Amino acid sequence: MRTFKGYIREDGRVGVRNYVVAIPVDDLSNTAVLGIAKLVKGVVPIPHPYGRLQFGRDLQLLFHILAGTGSNPNVAAAIVVGIDESWSNKVADMIARTGKPVEAISIEGRGDLKAIETASRKAVKLVQEASEKQRTEVDVSALTASIKCGESDTTSGLASNPALGAAVDRLIDMGATVMFGETSELTGAEDIVASRIPDPALREKFYKIYREYVSVIEAEGAEMLGSQPTEGNIKGGISTIEEKALGNIQKLGTKPITCVLDYLDPLPPGKGRLCFVNTSSAAAEFITLAAAKGSVLHFFTTGQGNVVGHPIVPVIKITANPKTAATMSEHIDVDVSDLLRLKISVAEAGERILEYAFRVMNGRLTAAEVLQHEEFSPIKLYISA
Amino acid sequence: MSFKFAIHHKADNVGVAIEDIKAGELVAGVYIEDRSPGPSVKALEDIPLGHKIALRDIEEGEVVVKYGRPIGKATRKIRAGEHVHVHNLVSTRWNFGRR
Repeated sequence: MRTFKGYIREDGRVGVRNYVVAIPVDDLSNTAVLGIAKLVKGVVPIPHPYGRLQFGRDLQLLFHILAGTGSNPNVAAAIVVGIDESWSNKVADMIARTGKPVEAISIEGRGDLKAIETASRKAVKLVQEASEKQRTEVDVSALTASIKCGESDTTSGLASNPALGAAVDRLIDMGATVMFGETSELTGAEDIVASRIPDPALREKFYKIYREYVSVIEAEGAEMLGSQPTEGNIKGGISTIEEKALGNIQKLGTKPITCVLDYLDPLPPGKGRLCFVNTSSAAAEFITLAAAKGSVLHFFTTGQGNVVGHPIVPVIKITANPKTAATMSEHIDVDVSDLLRLKISVAEAGERILEYAFRVMNGRLTAAEVLQHEEFSPIKLYISA
Repeated sequence: MSFKFAIHHKADNVGVAIEDIKAGELVAGVYIEDRSPGPSVKALEDIPLGHKIALRDIEEGEVVVKYGRPIGKATRKIRAGEHVHVHNLVSTRWNFGRR
């Protein structure tokens, strides 16, 4: 049995970090949120450009992401700020369902300065309370993690992704939950992913999500070269979406896919699962949505080098490209280029990733955390009203 | 001779350079699955680390196979040892306006 020292939250879920966050429900509230973070040490502001005049499923998705971020087990307490009282209250109420301390503040009728002052007084208490939370020894089956690759090249499909796949297999055997996404980037390998979904209804749900997603891209009829694959992918030797997808799925390991989640579906309780999550293939968008669904740790393989991080989720960067390991060394947490050079086995490279992950779960800061990469990118489905 | 490129699957007609390969070099491949020796080819041009090398002649319109699966088709005849990339390989799934 493997254990790590995590923070057990009110709803029983376990985090690997202990943040107090300040979340704006709209772009207008970013200034207030940044103001709170300036006045009170230990508050992590999570600004973003969305909210105003969003509606329907698009607005629901924004609330799902904001409330999910505030509810994440890496968060000890949350402050929600909005221009309108009703939206702040709505998101704060969603977070409060986890039992976590949460405060809602509105700016209308107060102005920024009064809102910042009121919120900051509450934040002082929340940060002091959070500072006394202790790490507790828990079984690794309490872990919910996510995986995604970015600025991939052919070394990803050859080495870093198979290595991560070996680590994912081990984590799932130990009872952890792992989420993957990148709907468009399964093109050319979508049948392989589908064949790993034993439940016929879930398999059909996956195909429906995949077809709908790709139909939006195909309807544009645009030249995709330079976007999928990206310029970085092409520089690294990837020529087509099929090649990228076949390299991408190497990181999924070998376990059956037992949950299929559309944008708004919450992660159901359970252990030892590999879950597909409908998302774009953009790094920050995927990590943001996975974090909202409860991922507390992200594994990120890169070929040419990607710098993405997240405000509350440690992102572990893994590369098998020796040039990238050298030129972007401050961004790379785990170098598995020995696997590309055939010096170690896939299983050994997977073990190297896993060992590092346990250190991060126990508190070691990742490169992205130290370098203050805090990308937060809610997915937007369509135009605002 | 040390291995300079890797091959994902026995059915593949391309390998991936695991070191920078120089034009004119005779280079040996390795099957990644069992690490057994694969074919050797003479590189006709520089192939940077991570880029694909043709293991045999590939005809125009022929499917390029990697991971034992189609990754697109050749837009022109590719000779064994040539660099295989966006200049001579296109997606058959997303190839808007270039089919």
